[in-house]
Parts: sequence; C-alpha cells; structure tokens
Amino acid sequence: MKKGLSYLAVGVAAGVALMGVSEGVLDAAAASANDRLTFFAEIFNKVRDNYAEKPDDDKMIKAAIDGMLASLDPHSTYFDQKALQEFQTSMKGEEFGGLGLEVMMEDGLVKVVSPIDETPAARAGLMSGDLVTRIDDAPVKGLTLKEAVDKMRGPAKSSVKLTVERGSGKDVKEYTIVREIIHVQSVRSRVEGGDIGYIRVTQFNQEAYDGVRRALEHFRADPGSAKLKGYILDLRNNPGGLLNQAVEIANAFVDSGQIVSTRGRIADQEQRYSARPGVNLSQGKPLVVLINGGSASASEIVSGALQDLKRATVIGSRSFGKGSVQTILPLGENGALKLTTARYYTPSGHSIQARGIEPDLTVLENIPDDLKGKVSSLGEASLFGHLKNGAEEEKGSDAYVPPDRDKDTQLQAAIRLLHGTKIEALRSQYPSAATVTAK
Amino acid sequence: MNRKVGYLGLGIVMGAAATAAAPQALMYVSPAAYAAAADTYRQLNLFGDVFDKIRNDYVEKPDEAKLIEAAINGMLASLDPHSSYMDAKAFKDMQVQTKGEFGGLGIEVTQEDGLIKVVTPIDETPAAKAGILSGDIITSIDDQPTQGLTLDQAVEKMRGAINSPVKLKIVRGPKKEVKDFTVVRDLIHVQSVRSRVEDGDIGYIRITQFTEQTAEGLKEAMEKLHSQIPNDKFKGYILDLRNNPGGLLDQSIDVVNAFMDKGEIVSTRSRSPDETQRFDAKPGEDLSGGKPLVVLINGGSASASEIVSGALQDHKRATLIGTRSFGKGSVQTIMPLGQQGALRLTTARYYTPSGRSIQAKGIEPDIKVLEDVPDDLKGKDDMKGEASLKGHLANGVEDTAGSQAYVPPDEKDDKQLAAAIDLLNGEKPSEIEAKMAAASPKKDAKGDAPAAAGAPADAGAPKPN
Repeated sequence: MKKGLSYLAVGVAAGVALMGVSEGVLDAAAASANDRLTFFAEIFNKVRDNYAEKPDDDKMIKAAIDGMLASLDPHSTYFDQKALQEFQTSMKGEEFGGLGLEVMMEDGLVKVVSPIDETPAARAGLMSGDLVTRIDDAPVKGLTLKEAVDKMRGPAKSSVKLTVERGSGKDVKEYTIVREIIHVQSVRSRVEGGDIGYIRVTQFNQEAYDGVRRALEHFRADPGSAKLKGYILDLRNNPGGLLNQAVEIANAFVDSGQIVSTRGRIADQEQRYSARPGVNLSQGKPLVVLINGGSASASEIVSGALQDLKRATVIGSRSFGKGSVQTILPLGENGALKLTTARYYTPSGHSIQARGIEPDLTVLENIPDDLKGKVSSLGEASLFGHLKNGAEEEKGSDAYVPPDRDKDTQLQAAIRLLHGTKIEALRSQYPSAATVTAK
Repeated sequence: MNRKVGYLGLGIVMGAAATAAAPQALMYVSPAAYAAAADTYRQLNLFGDVFDKIRNDYVEKPDEAKLIEAAINGMLASLDPHSSYMDAKAFKDMQVQTKGEFGGLGIEVTQEDGLIKVVTPIDETPAAKAGILSGDIITSIDDQPTQGLTLDQAVEKMRGAINSPVKLKIVRGPKKEVKDFTVVRDLIHVQSVRSRVEDGDIGYIRITQFTEQTAEGLKEAMEKLHSQIPNDKFKGYILDLRNNPGGLLDQSIDVVNAFMDKGEIVSTRSRSPDETQRFDAKPGEDLSGGKPLVVLINGGSASASEIVSGALQDHKRATLIGTRSFGKGSVQTIMPLGQQGALRLTTARYYTPSGRSIQAKGIEPDIKVLEDVPDDLKGKDDMKGEASLKGHLANGVEDTAGSQAYVPPDEKDDKQLAAAIDLLNGEKPSEIEAKMAAASPKKDAKGDAPAAAGAPADAGAPKPN
C-alpha cells in the first residue's frame, strides 16, 4: 500500500507535507527492466571511467532522473532533499522571503503562472504569462525551475532584478523588486455589493479549506445570513494544489454526491471522493464560481464538481485543462518523486485533461491595449508531452484579472447574476466571441 | 591500448564518417576506493528506485526503453554539449554515412537548449540553395515542433527519400524572424574536399568536413592542382576551413601532415596522465612542396578545423586569415554498446603544438578580415561559439563573444579570400589589414552589430586580460 500525497498544481505552486512512507513493492521478476537498469549502469560506469574530467556522479544521476521524468509529462519531477523541504514549506503555507510569483518552466524559461495578490511581484506589475529571461542579469536559460526559484527568493528587503519578456511581441521589461516575507495566505474574502460573500482562493495549500470555512462562517455575521444573497468563489489564476483541500472546499458547498474520482493504472489510485453530509456551510445560498485560463488542476476539480452537481454557475473563460494527479513518493534520504499517478474525473465522468472546463457563462475581461495577446494561458494542451485526451483537446484562454474590481467584468457579471439578472440576459450581453483572444 | 575512434565534430555531422572501431576497451577504475564503489551503488540504487516507481505507479504504462533512453540523454546532456547517446538505429545511420551519401537536406545541426540549430548548410545542397543559414533555429519539421525531440530524432525527420519535400520552420537572428522553407531532399554527397585554381597560380582547397575520405580527397586535390599550375608559377595554397565543423581526428592529422614534414601536430590529454597521446608529422608525407600556405577560418571553424589551423599556425607553416574560430577543444570517442548503439563521449581535450587549449577560446587569425554582411543578414551571421554553449568544458578566461561565420556566396565579394590572394601575391599583412578594413563601405556605420560587419577587427568582442 502506498500512501503518498496527492498534489495537483501547475508548475511550482506552493504547498504541503508528506504523510506515510512508501514501501514500494517492486516486481523484481521483471527481467527486462533489470536488463535496462544494467544497461543504464553500464553507460553510467563508462562515463565515470572515461569522461575527460572526473564527473559529478550525483549530478549525473540527477540529470538522468530529470531526463527520464521530463520524458513522461510536464508535471512529473524529482525533488532532492532541499527542494522537497521547500515544497513542503510552501504547501504548509509557511513564510519565506520572496517576490510572490507562481512560476513554471516553459521552453527553458521561467514563466509566470500568476503573481500572488498583494505581493511585491503583483505590485510591480508582473503578469501571468510573462517569461522571466534574466534574474539579476544572469540568464535563466539552463537553470532548473528550482534553481531559478532559489535565485528569486532571498532575505526580505533585498532586491532582485528581473528581465521579463511579455507577449507575442516579446516586449522586454525590467523590474527591480524588493523582496518581502511572503505569507502564503491562500484565501481572502470580502463582502461584495453589501450582500454577497466573495471568497478568493489563490491556491490549494493546507490552509485553504480552513480559510474558506472561516470566510463562510464570517458571512453569517457580516452581512448576516438573512441578507446574504449568495457567494462568489473566485478561482481565477489559481494553479491548484492539494487534492484533499479541493475536495473539502467543494464539500463546503454541497451535502451529497460525488465530487471527483481518480483513476490510475493501479487499483489503489482508483478512488472516489464523495461529499460527506453535515459539512456544507453554505446554507444553500446561490453560488457563482469564477474561472479563467489560469485556473488549473485543483481549481478545475472544484469548479467541475460544482458545475456537474449544478450547485454553481461557472462564469469566466475556459480553464487550463490539467486533469492529472501527482503523488509525492518519498525516496528516503534522497528526496521525493512527484509523479503523475492518476487522472481525475468530474462527477459526470469527464476528464478535463487538455480540454479544461467551459464556463456556463463565458465572460471575457476587457484587456488593456498594451496587454492584448499577452495574457493568455496556452493551457495544458499546448504543453510538450502532456497526457493525451482524445481528439477534442482545447487550448487555454485569457488569464487576465483587472486590478480594479469595478473594471472586473467577470466579477460584475457574477454580482449581477446573484442580484437577480437572468443568465439568458447576461449571455446576450456578454458575447462569448472566441474564448482565446484570436492572435 | 584502446583503439577508439577520436571524433571531433560539432553536433551531428550529417554525413561525416566515424568508424566505430574496436573493442570496448573499458578502463575499469581500480578497486582501490571501496567507498567510491559504495557511493556508485547508492547512486544507481536511487536511479533504480525512481525507475521502479515510475514503472509501478505512473498513470499510464510507461515505455521502459524510452525512459532509459531519456535518462541516458539527460545524463549525457548534463556533461557537455558534445556527449550523446546513439541508439542502434542512429549508430547504424552514422556508419551508413561513411559511404558518403544519403537522402537529405544538407545541413549540419546541433542542439542547444533543446533547440535544433543550424551549424552550417553544406555547399551545393538543397539547404544551402534554399537559403538556410548558420545559426538558424529549426522550430518545426513538417509542422511538427522540434521542441522535445532529440538531435537524432530531428535529423531523422529531415532525412528521407530523394525528391521528397520537407517543410522547415525557422527562427532567425536576435529578432527571431520566423521563416518557412520547403526544401526538396536530394542525394547528399559527402564530398568533403573541393579545389580550384585561383588567379591562375594559386591552389585553392576547401575542406567542408573531416570525413574518412578527406585525407585522400586532399591528396587528389593537391596532385590535380600541381598538374594545373606549373611548379615555377605556383604561388601557394589557400586552405579554406571556414564553416567546417570538424570530424575525424586522424583525418585532421593527415591534413596537417600534407603541408609539413615534421613536428608535433596535436596532443590529446584525458583524465589519466598515461592516456596522453601525441601525434607527430610523419616524414615524407608533405605534398605541398614547401609552397606558402594561407588558412581561412571563421566562427564556424571548429574542432578538427582548429587542430589543423592551430598546428599550422604554431609551426608558422601557415598564415591564418579570417575571424576567430569556434573554440571546441575536446575530443569525443565513439564507444560501441553491442546491440544498443553507441556512446559518443567527450574523453579528452586536445592541445596545439605550443601546448595551448583552444577550448572555449578559439584560434585568433594572424590577419583579421571581416566579410561585408548584407544588410538583411546583419547580426544574424555570428556564431556564438563553444564558450556560449550550455555546459561546455571550462577553460579559464574564455571568449564568449560571437565570431563572424558568414562566407559570401559570390567569390567576388569574399574579402577573406581576396586577402589570402593578396598575401600570396606578396602584399604585406599590415597593408592587407588596412585595406580590408577600409574597403568596408559601412564601416562603423552601425553600432548595433559590432561583431557582424563593419567595425574593424572584432570591435566589441572584449579581449580577455
């Protein structure tokens, strides 16, 4: 039996701890696999013995492992001890000195998945989709994601210079940003329009469900249950995180029904997660979920479940399309493996892998001219080596959220729906044109 | 003694021969360090652990052979840009190439940061005729992205039946201009030596790469030139090694030997001191009759080309004209792996007769002459060189600036060639340098592409110390 931690995020998100130890029962009878390992060992030894310089054996093995994992899919990676600790730290929502960027690797460059609200990166104006080409003038090309993240982190108040390419025109921009302690505060809430409970989940770390629970409880007092018209759950640009947190958060809005099921190749990856009765904190009030091209993974589990169960109206643009589950498999003192072990399926039995979730009401943000064509997420379907999902794959969609809430068309549409405007009326008002800005 | 084939190419040299001779003389490390052995065991164990976890837990049944190959490629790529694994098919292809022909486009390519980059188009091939340039990045082949392909896979896709077309999407230069080419494959002859009489009394020889046939081809070319030019009129040779990415070590030694009778040509040093090898000129092999010699080099001259030009320069046998060479100072050995293809592994560095390593530095010409680059190619013709390749072997103070790798298609515009002819006709080097710099009509006009054209002698290329 394996008890790993299921992890669902795009890129390096932040988030959690390991439970359990792998006891990896291996099928030693597989002779051909042994032959392959022997072959690998032969080459490893040839290099060790004959290379022009004494090679760094640890580095070679790590490169071999990285190469092997990269050949599988974009989400399987190896964490050495240090990387694992950092990963655990971030999943716990702990603090570190940094910029407040969620990043991933694309074509050897570091790509901004999203700047975290109220961090130096967000204030400086970094955007989803920006490619970081240099950190403190040193090229990013050739660095691993972890190395790049390490360079961006550092003591609070120290500054770091980022050179960024933005959009298809590859506009080059430079930012000098002063690091701060980044609290990985994954849930923020406020009352919208006097009678709507707005909850934004930025990532699914270990604190996420607690944050949502507290927000829902808070709304009972402010604006008060009698006045409360409904909720907006904002999952835009949320790259994902922990599976169990996603399940708990969905459960906070429903009483019964399946939330998600996962299926892997082996039996113990086949799991159904259903809502437990008695933990629905939403008092049956209407719910709108906001998604966009930056909503991935755990965000898609939540929005997919609430959509399939007809518990929520999903507004925004098509989600990212990451329909796979990664498990953290410990490797003793050698760190851990983050391996894709399963696909997940929404309650209706659909895999959103490389397709994403289509909102019930597509509403596009008005993108300022200087950002046009630069704030789209290409989505899972355009990642090299992504798991296939039949012929009907879909690319990503816009991933722009206006900083000014009054200009946030998706948010305004959600408020209007909760204030009683019919969805048909809204639909005619927000022509859904192309989901991706045609470019 | 292990007899492995020393190979000095840049990237995959399409059509270069490399016979994988011989026994796998594996030098097993002495059992002295037991701790080291235990460490190896630990490392291999970790690898085995990961491999097994993938086999058991991955969401889909993985292709185990592919996993191992990706692991090997990842491991080798972490060493340096020239070590690689060839599976059985790639290895066989490489051997087939020793025949000297295949259906293809005629480009030499290398992989850099996962991208397929053109080292140089081979003369008179479909690629050269279509206008593909050194430094172009091939982003897709027949509409399939190259990102994620190994170099072998990309080469495989570009090769094919003669007369069949292939579509290439190319990104060019710092502005990343995207261009589409449809190129019809042709039979690519690996004719590595071409020669002609220049100016009535000069023997011009161009070596495009060092294949098994090169020394023989050179011999024929030199004999032919001697039959065309009467000995008393024969002013000298021009040996053109521009954009020659390298090839076989033994061939480069024979090429040098065809111009000089004695002295060290090159020495190679691997990790263990007893593996140091020195290659000397054999007496009686000099076919040049002591005639003056000019060697042309540029940023695309690498590896075996640098052995030849370095040896001839150190012995003052030749005057080097052109721009700084690429700077690949390492030797790869092809190690056959039974049914499993072969390993191309960097096993040594080489040193010119004066004891210098040109790794990541390149060879500076005696007379620096830049070509005039057409406006539309400005800034796109530079070869970045070994020092800018990710993971290259380090060599002290390096020269990371690019060096020009442009040769005008029309010989009349070829200033480096003209300079060589002038020198053989008796002009002084200082006069030639001054004249060539002055002849640059747009000299200094543009400050934005200093190494490309115009500015005298690699201005903008910071010289170490």
